[in-house]
Amino acid sequence: MPQPFRLALVGAGMVTRSSHLPAALASDKVQVVALVEPMRQRAEELARWYGIAPAIVPQVQDVLGHIDGAVIATPNDTHMGIALTCLEAGVATLIEKPLASTYAEGEAIVKAGQASGTVVAVGYVLRFREDVLLLGDLLNVGYFGTVRRFAHQVGTRGGWAPMSSYNLSRQATGGGVLVVTGTHFLDRMLHFWGYPDDVAFADDTQGGPEANCIATFRYTATDTPCEGVALYSKTTELPGGLSIATDRGLVQVAELDKTDIIFRPYEHPQVEQVVRRCGTFSYPQEMSLFQRQLEDFVNACQQGRSPMVDGRQGLLSLRLLEELYTRRQALNTDWYQQIPQQRAS
Amino acid sequence: MRRIAIVGASGFVGSTLVERLLAQAQDEVHPLIHSSGNAWRLARLGIALPAVDLLVPDEIDRALRGCTHVVNCALGSADAMVKGLQHLLAASRKNNVERFIHLSSVLVYGDPPPPESVHEEAQTHPAKGTYGWLKLQQDRMVLQACRAGLPSVILCPPNISGPYSPYLVRVLDALRAGAFALLDDGKTPCNLVDVSNLAYAIELALDRGTADGKRMFVTDDEATTWYDVIEGLTPVTGRAAPVSVITREELSRLRLGDSKPSLSLMQSLKHLVSSDVRVALRQDPVWAKVEQALGQGVTRLGKVVEERLRLSIAGPPPIPKVPRGPQYNAQLCIQQLRGVRHASDLAKQELSYQPLYTFAASMRAFCAWYRSQHGMDTGHWDLLKQLS
Repeated sequence: MPQPFRLALVGAGMVTRSSHLPAALASDKVQVVALVEPMRQRAEELARWYGIAPAIVPQVQDVLGHIDGAVIATPNDTHMGIALTCLEAGVATLIEKPLASTYAEGEAIVKAGQASGTVVAVGYVLRFREDVLLLGDLLNVGYFGTVRRFAHQVGTRGGWAPMSSYNLSRQATGGGVLVVTGTHFLDRMLHFWGYPDDVAFADDTQGGPEANCIATFRYTATDTPCEGVALYSKTTELPGGLSIATDRGLVQVAELDKTDIIFRPYEHPQVEQVVRRCGTFSYPQEMSLFQRQLEDFVNACQQGRSPMVDGRQGLLSLRLLEELYTRRQALNTDWYQQIPQQRAS
Repeated sequence: MRRIAIVGASGFVGSTLVERLLAQAQDEVHPLIHSSGNAWRLARLGIALPAVDLLVPDEIDRALRGCTHVVNCALGSADAMVKGLQHLLAASRKNNVERFIHLSSVLVYGDPPPPESVHEEAQTHPAKGTYGWLKLQQDRMVLQACRAGLPSVILCPPNISGPYSPYLVRVLDALRAGAFALLDDGKTPCNLVDVSNLAYAIELALDRGTADGKRMFVTDDEATTWYDVIEGLTPVTGRAAPVSVITREELSRLRLGDSKPSLSLMQSLKHLVSSDVRVALRQDPVWAKVEQALGQGVTRLGKVVEERLRLSIAGPPPIPKVPRGPQYNAQLCIQQLRGVRHASDLAKQELSYQPLYTFAASMRAFCAWYRSQHGMDTGHWDLLKQLS
């Protein structure tokens, strides 16, 4: 049996506590040898909580000679500095999405990975969902027909509250709800259909991270043009999911960890087909998405192959994020607009 | 310049108030939030949003330093609402706050409220442990602090409408699910206040009125009915199906069904021997052995005794009735039994309050917000609505 992959978790915040560390502890492929966290007490509490005794250090430089890879789960604007330190020392990195807070930073990470021949993986963990894997395969072979339009939405009234509150800083996140929530779908969209030929975008920012946004995408340079919309909100509940209209019917997938693909053919409006994988699954069903992602990363490092979502794909997502923000228009948020106030003064 | 702390700033009313005060640019606005997760509406403005835990007295004391005015819009657990307010009032007094504005609720009068609660001096009698009861405890604490020297105003809104209204979203969801039915053709009163009207009343209360800790109703001051509300939501509901009707008797039965079960020792015992609990306990090897030994002991007594024992403890197996007809949202529907219309006369007299927006304008603003949030006016609404 090969030696376990020596892993450092950089950042002892919420996503490490709830997802990355449990995934690492559930895997027999990795050994958590270090928690890297400037707030030592936070890391100590985390280690105590899970009953482990890794090295606890304030910066990744302190463990570089003792690790094979690092999961970087820190605020987005700190990804580049930590990743470059790791990659220049030949340490593989799995970086929480998005790859960085700007395209330029992301490009520096990818170049450093290429220069050192070291794996850079990006934490678009939803790619490891069985329905996403299956939908990708089926779209590829035209199972549902030719795609004409698609619509994706996710909305919550608030939500994720990271320990550092970095979600309230546009500088730290590199954006707002589009980066925090929407980027998962942008990654999937790029994976399914490639980079769009035209985009439009509107959001409600007035200097801070936007809470609501809408993006539209057009694919025109193809024999089968299609267009889509993506709607994200941090102020309104919107049932998360993807609807795809093809020339044969409507495909629908909910944004849930375990879900089926639903297909409603136009020619049989009374029928709803449940499409799911049978036979061998891509991953054991009981394995968490974060463990699948982590083991894919470890396998990529050990087998000298690319991970499921590599740095180049992460960089493409950043390019799209930046293009959308560049095209930004303001959403109307004056809901009482044109409604005269009764009061005279 | 006034420095106004808004506690619970990330909530529905708090966010509206902060947005309005910032737009007026006359005061130093100091929004205080509980958690960054719910603060997106304000975060988009690019302003500082310090987090404060009302259960930690030092934190709230530090946060109020230099504040001349405090508006309490905080919600939360019973503990946060009572102990948190205690800390907030203490910190306000310590920091010599000039005026403390507290948001109460018409539910302090009970549900349904008595007919005499047209005016504020009516008797309060909310059922113990309810939200209205908690708000009444809060009102009493504010009044006490006021008598001890903290100038305070208590504003008492009914259900709050307007853009972002969680209340109207609930009504809308119930309508769509066929879970709402109208009583008396919808002619019963629906007390509402638009969120901007309420925020405006808060602004007035910051420097007007006697600040003697008295409760003041703040409403849209219109004779709005439930029919009007349903009609007002038409731009987002469409007119796909007529709204069901319900009789007063059916509504009263819904009300009874909605009440919480009373505490019972027998019920607790039945729950303890229920299969769910036993399955959970079996995860522990010691409990598993104990249960196995008990089970074997009972089996040895014979099948007849075993069945009698089970019947005497757990009773006959429950077979739920298959529900027929629509399943109404009891909490919403029974609000139509609130027959009283609360009057804003005192707020008009004390604060010179006049609603900024009519009910109709408020509903139009809500619908405009809702349509935008759900992408209803995009060319892809046919696909998006499949997801809702």
